[in-house]
Amino acid sequence: MRGFLTTRTAVLDWLRTLGQQEDVFFPLPLGENSFSFDKVRQHSRLAFEDFDAAPGEKPFRASSCVQPPGKKLSPNNEQIFRFSKNAHGEYQLTPTLDERPRIIAGLRPCDLKAIHLMDRVHSDDIADAHYLTRRRNTTLIAHDCLQPCDEHCFCDATGSLRWRQGADIFLTPQPEAKLLLEALTERGERRLDDAGFAPCSDIEERRALAEEKRAQPFGRHFDAPLQRVIDTVSDSWESPVWDKHVERCFSCGTCNLVCPTCYCFDVQDDYNIDDPDSGQRSRRWDGCMLEEFAVVAGGHNFRPQLAARQRHRIKRKLAWLPARFGDGSFCVGCGRCGHQCTVDIDIFDIANDLLAATEARP
Amino acid sequence: MTPLDFDAEVLTPRMARIIEARDMTAQERFFRLQLPRPLNHRPGQFVMASIPGIGEAPISISCGPRHDEQLELLVRNTGSLTRAMHRLQAGDFMGIRGPFGSGFELAEFEGRETIFVAGGLGLAPLRSLIEPVLSDPQRFGRATIISGCRTPADELYREQMQAWARRPKARVIRLVNDTAHQPWDGEVGLVTAPIAKLEIDTPNTLAVLCGPPVMYKFVIMELAARGLSNAQIFIDLERRMRCGIGKCGHCQINHVTCCREGPVFRFSDLESLPEALT
Repeated sequence: MRGFLTTRTAVLDWLRTLGQQEDVFFPLPLGENSFSFDKVRQHSRLAFEDFDAAPGEKPFRASSCVQPPGKKLSPNNEQIFRFSKNAHGEYQLTPTLDERPRIIAGLRPCDLKAIHLMDRVHSDDIADAHYLTRRRNTTLIAHDCLQPCDEHCFCDATGSLRWRQGADIFLTPQPEAKLLLEALTERGERRLDDAGFAPCSDIEERRALAEEKRAQPFGRHFDAPLQRVIDTVSDSWESPVWDKHVERCFSCGTCNLVCPTCYCFDVQDDYNIDDPDSGQRSRRWDGCMLEEFAVVAGGHNFRPQLAARQRHRIKRKLAWLPARFGDGSFCVGCGRCGHQCTVDIDIFDIANDLLAATEARP
Repeated sequence: MTPLDFDAEVLTPRMARIIEARDMTAQERFFRLQLPRPLNHRPGQFVMASIPGIGEAPISISCGPRHDEQLELLVRNTGSLTRAMHRLQAGDFMGIRGPFGSGFELAEFEGRETIFVAGGLGLAPLRSLIEPVLSDPQRFGRATIISGCRTPADELYREQMQAWARRPKARVIRLVNDTAHQPWDGEVGLVTAPIAKLEIDTPNTLAVLCGPPVMYKFVIMELAARGLSNAQIFIDLERRMRCGIGKCGHCQINHVTCCREGPVFRFSDLESLPEALT
């Protein structure tokens, strides 16, 4: 494993240069307090926070990037195949696999863990070729967090704060406006060898320096250890807590849309408007909070109650998918669902309420 | 480039030529397809069937296991895609992906008696198991087929069921809820009714159910009254899959996906899945 040390400015210049040859995604300012992972251009405003940044001083935070960066790997309205039909009614179908190289930079440990979980999901059993093709051509450059994003963050509670697996290059803030760059994969090594930064021999000491600087406690914590939360959510089927948190819910599905581990989709076919003998099939993001999600042919709805849909969402994150994959919580604690919810419904509060309800039970 | 360890065409159907298409009832159309290569399906599995440009939906395979390139489907006209499928004729093409799902283990039925209970279109998927069971009376025990539908005009596979009744070790009970003033040579009533009177060898019997969700509870009560345990009952569930490969989320029932662990479940395994039958 090789390390390099250079200034934040040098890394940002390097990303801008790479952005002229391939797609580099980095959090770019959208408005006063929101960011979006968009393509870096020559004059894009890019920033990393200072080693000594106070809480809230980050140039961008995971939860202020409304869309998680992992969504770049399964974009909305992703084309699955193109088709055309000849005069004999015979079809030609061509699957669409996106093999363009790209870089996602500036992503945080919570989003990195989410991508790791999506890698597990999409390679499980019958693999999803479209996701995996894009993933294999993507370089991930993650950045450590020394301060929690904001009051919604609970990444440490879900075991994501120190996540590094999946990153090709991992950046750690250092004093004097510098960054430690570690290559964690061969692909990361190749990228950094080409960059020409100064090698760094005291990687462990530099990481320890950042660890000392890390806020303690870091963000919000559940009222019990994570395994107890997972056990409690797993055992909660009938509970008044499910009803409590949907009283003000609009069933709008925003929590699904902004979640870095929501991957459900619907499929849509379209004809080309200028050539009705050709067209495409694509998939678009869907959400289990939406009323129509579990409707079958003929109209029967297997999950008509809002509370049942909320329970389904929470159990996927904190019970069912953790049990299936054995890779910890599928809620990575990024805080987006609670942050973006118009009526402040927060999976963190639901989990704590379930813990309390279980404690109170005789 | 790294070699692919996945199927690049996993979500792209293969086009199959329709070699026979006919309306079986006003609502259901039968298709026999010629596939580009054999599907080698198990009974109880399903395919994702589509018309490019219109859409894709899960359809149960309605023929027994076979190793040639043919496939039979029965499609109910219930939405925009299936309405378009009802206009397809012999010579047209349909997209097929699959087969998907766990299906039935034929070995499980060896030497056993089987009671098939089908409500309406539920007969189509059950036919994929009835055919192999009836065609090998040496290997499988007695088969009882109880099939119910609304009126005589809604009955599916009528000649086929009449032929099944003539097979050795076969009993066929055909019911309608209402004769609706149409000629009818079967019984009138619900599929639950015949179960109480059946002569069965309880410890050696399996039951297989497929029909609308409302049917299961009452059929299971009747079977339980005859002494069948939950482990002796199989249910073929319906969900609206979008992918068939456990990714789209639409067919998830509690912690399992219907497209992967199902759509055939042993009823005793559904006890931990409270969302399965409601």
